[in-house]
Amino acid sequence: MTVLSRILLAASMAFGVLVPAGPVVAADAKPLNIVFVNPGKTGEVYWDMVSQTMQAAGRKLDAHVEVLTSERNYRTMQELGLGVVARTDKPDFLILSNEESAAIPILEAAEAAGIKTLLLSNTLIGEDATRLGPPRAKLKNWLGDITTDLTTAGARMANALIGAARNEKWQSPDGKIHLLGIGGDEITPASIARNAGLQLAVAAAPDVVVDRMLFANWTQSEAEQVAANYLGWAQRKGIRPAGIWAGNDPMALGALKAVAAAGITPGQDLQIVGLNWSEDALREIKAGRLLLTDGGHFLLGGWSIVLLRDYADGCDFAASSPHIEVKTSAITRDNLGSVAALIKSRAFDRIDFARIRAKPGRCGQYDFSVDMLISSLSPPSSAGE
Amino acid sequence: MMPDADGMNGPAKPAPSRSVVRAMIWATVPVLLLVQLLASAGVEVSSFWSQIRQLDARIARVAESRAQLIAEPLWKMRYDRVTGVLNEIMHDETIAAATVYDDTGVAIARAGASSSGQALTEVSRPVNYSNGNMAVQAGRIVIAYSYATLYADTGSRLGLLLIVGLLATLATMIAMRISANVFIGKPLAAMMSAIQRSKQDGRAYPADVKSSNEFGQLASAFNAMQLTTSGALDRLGHMASHDPLTGLPNRRSLSERLVTLSGDAGSPDALIAFSFIDLDDFKGINDTFGHDAGDKFLVHISERLRATVEPEDWVARLGGDEFVVIRPEVSNEAAAMAFARQLLEAISAPILLHDKQVVPRASIGLAVRCADDPELSHLPALADIALYHAKSKAPGTVAVLDEALQRHYRRRRDLELAIPTGFAEQQFEVWYQSQVDMMSEEVIGLEALIRWRHCEYGVIGPGEFLPLIERSGNNARLTRYVLTDACRALQQLAAAGKPHIRIALNLPPSELADHSFAAELRDTCNRFDVEASSLELEITEGSLINNIASASDTLRRLRRLGATIALDDFGTGYSSLAHLRRFPLDKVKIDKAFIREIPDSAEDKAIVGVIASLAGTLGLTLIAEGIERAEQAQAMREMGVRLGQGFLYHKPQPLDAVLRGLAETGSGDDRVLADCPSIAPEFA
Repeated sequence: MTVLSRILLAASMAFGVLVPAGPVVAADAKPLNIVFVNPGKTGEVYWDMVSQTMQAAGRKLDAHVEVLTSERNYRTMQELGLGVVARTDKPDFLILSNEESAAIPILEAAEAAGIKTLLLSNTLIGEDATRLGPPRAKLKNWLGDITTDLTTAGARMANALIGAARNEKWQSPDGKIHLLGIGGDEITPASIARNAGLQLAVAAAPDVVVDRMLFANWTQSEAEQVAANYLGWAQRKGIRPAGIWAGNDPMALGALKAVAAAGITPGQDLQIVGLNWSEDALREIKAGRLLLTDGGHFLLGGWSIVLLRDYADGCDFAASSPHIEVKTSAITRDNLGSVAALIKSRAFDRIDFARIRAKPGRCGQYDFSVDMLISSLSPPSSAGE
Repeated sequence: MMPDADGMNGPAKPAPSRSVVRAMIWATVPVLLLVQLLASAGVEVSSFWSQIRQLDARIARVAESRAQLIAEPLWKMRYDRVTGVLNEIMHDETIAAATVYDDTGVAIARAGASSSGQALTEVSRPVNYSNGNMAVQAGRIVIAYSYATLYADTGSRLGLLLIVGLLATLATMIAMRISANVFIGKPLAAMMSAIQRSKQDGRAYPADVKSSNEFGQLASAFNAMQLTTSGALDRLGHMASHDPLTGLPNRRSLSERLVTLSGDAGSPDALIAFSFIDLDDFKGINDTFGHDAGDKFLVHISERLRATVEPEDWVARLGGDEFVVIRPEVSNEAAAMAFARQLLEAISAPILLHDKQVVPRASIGLAVRCADDPELSHLPALADIALYHAKSKAPGTVAVLDEALQRHYRRRRDLELAIPTGFAEQQFEVWYQSQVDMMSEEVIGLEALIRWRHCEYGVIGPGEFLPLIERSGNNARLTRYVLTDACRALQQLAAAGKPHIRIALNLPPSELADHSFAAELRDTCNRFDVEASSLELEITEGSLINNIASASDTLRRLRRLGATIALDDFGTGYSSLAHLRRFPLDKVKIDKAFIREIPDSAEDKAIVGVIASLAGTLGLTLIAEGIERAEQAQAMREMGVRLGQGFLYHKPQPLDAVLRGLAETGSGDDRVLADCPSIAPEFA
């Protein structure tokens, strides 16, 4: 593996030298030392994929990425982070995720130690945001954050459902399209943003009602249960359920099971949408049972390395804003093919991260769309064994 | 009175405390128990209703609070959480079941078994869900609960109350019993025991009650009353045993004293001297000086007796003019006699009554007996015999009860007791003594004389037994007995050809006062077909004096029948010449006391001569008694006394002997003195 990566590294470097637009940083590029304190658990798909894209990008962009896993324990996360800050051989950058605002002490310690930090996925919110102010103000070493625009994602998912229902004329006897919303929780910013997207979309569609906004703790089983409850209730109320909006893929898959159990054929009588680009979801999309899965935000890992590489090379992303918000993308049956293999094999080395870097003179301007991703992919065979 | 009181005493002993206390307890405890039970049951029932209301309210609150809790999971279709919340409330044991219905009316969560076994009450509350921008009724919660626990609790509390009530009542009862015993029973018992002790020996015992409450006051009042009663009882006792006039012990005390004497005797052979004192002619003093003076006299006598005796002696007044002095220890009979004489001497000192000197006289009967004599209780009777003897034989002296006296007394008593037998077995016999014409020596009459042929004592003369007959009230019976016998004798005399011979009867004073005697005499004569004129009735002057009017009346009737009346024993008693004139007499009998010394005594001859001339003057027939010698008969004849009676002619003898003698006289002239028991003709 090490041998292979070195070969790849050498090849890309060579390629970069050859490409006229590429050698922006090549000449004085120095290897970067980056530590990521992963808040998630080993095996947790999203965070694993964040780390993996991060490491894939590091390999492409001459950055050594060290991933420390907190195993979903915020104390462990803080210990790990503070331990990194206290090192004598300090890293160039420290990537943190402010889940449950647990990264604040690390952020402050890093500020004191002079370690540049970037917040990924979860940034400062509420009181912390007010107290500590914007990046590079009070906290000089806090470079900024890279997050996903999940509200748009939520709205996009809802609109897909509404569109499908309208096409199929799945109105209930009251003439309205009845939807079920299944959220992960009611408190985390990630959840609130997605749910808000659903509400925005429904608010804009007078022929649509969300019968219930249910919460299933992000889990498949609970989602299956509440979905089943909803279907029963809807039946008793004489409602024809037209679609189920789920805040993530596992919940969408749970709803799928409940729908099937209720004798409703998903994809034909009712549409379900999820989020996360999970492998299972992609498979269900392929089978025509799931309408779409939005997401791709695991690529934040890779994108963050791109930002830091550019920053280290003098092209500061803050030229446009220290807050980088990445739009997600929906994978439907139409665009499923090119991404599915990538996801399935997790062969993120196929992504040419150098192509994503900011163009000279246009620092802070990035195209993180799925189309850009697809176009930056090398053919599977070139990177495969 | 006493037996009644005793009858009430015996079983009533423990009664006062029991009955009063028990009645109090029976009167109060059931009421207490009832009130207590009713009150506690009332409180419990009202508490039960308020608990029902509280339970309703509580379950309603539970329903409301659970509705709030389940609103969100219900709305958000987390039915498992709804069930979880429901299951939590099932810890409340009054809740039997809880059900949550969603807005379609379907039960989406259930907890508990809605068993139909018991009556359940349901409370239903809407489940309202609201968030920032909506408020909906998500469904309904229905809780079914049961009052069973309340019923059971109330039941067990009622049971407990009952037990507590019973225990409280029991405790109250015990407390009442104890306190009633202490405060009521004890004082009552104390008073009761005091009363009973007082009853037993007549002394006043105070009730030992120390409390200051009403019973204490009652007890002190009772004690005061006891004291008063005791004083009164003492006085009564003293009065009962003492003579109020002299303050001496009375007859009642005597018997107690005798008992004490026999017990207290120093040595068994100590002699007890019992003096029975009777004042002579106390009646005379009463009559002369009045009863107040008589009382004063008695007091004087008692004081003298007291002054004379020693401290160990005992003086009592038995009543009237009878006193008793007992000396518990004398050395011998002589000493006792000396003591009695000393008493007599003390009594005999003159007393001044109404400025007159009176010399008291008394007779004393003395009996001396050993202290261990079993007949000690007879001492009064024995002394009384001696006293009787003294009074009858020698008033103003001391008579000791000796063997002879006692024997005499015993004989007298035996005879007295044998009188009814004497009549029944016809032991009384009538003997006849002839009255003779001393000129012709012809028998002109017979005097009927009564004799008692006693089975033990032999033939007893009338002098001994007539007073006994009189005392026993058999005078009339004996008189009629004699009368009947005399009539029969007249019949026999007539049959024997001697119809001229008359029979004289002695008429006792009591018969002289009996108006029916004349009629009876007539009837008896008719019965035997004899003439009343053949009968002569002899009376004594004494019997005339005591009832002059009725005696003369009877005598006149008898004379009208033809009987003649003879005055017996003339010259010994009053020998009142007035009597001779006033009463219808036919004959006078000169007492043998005047005949005995004739012809030797010139005085007696003079007296008889005077009597003879007086009788001749008054037209009375004269007869001399006790003619024993021929000289006497000669002297009588010379003094003109023609008739005579005495041993010179005939002794008294049974009728058969008399008839035989008459028959012999009629045929021959030789006089045969009947060979019969010679008895001094005391009454002749």
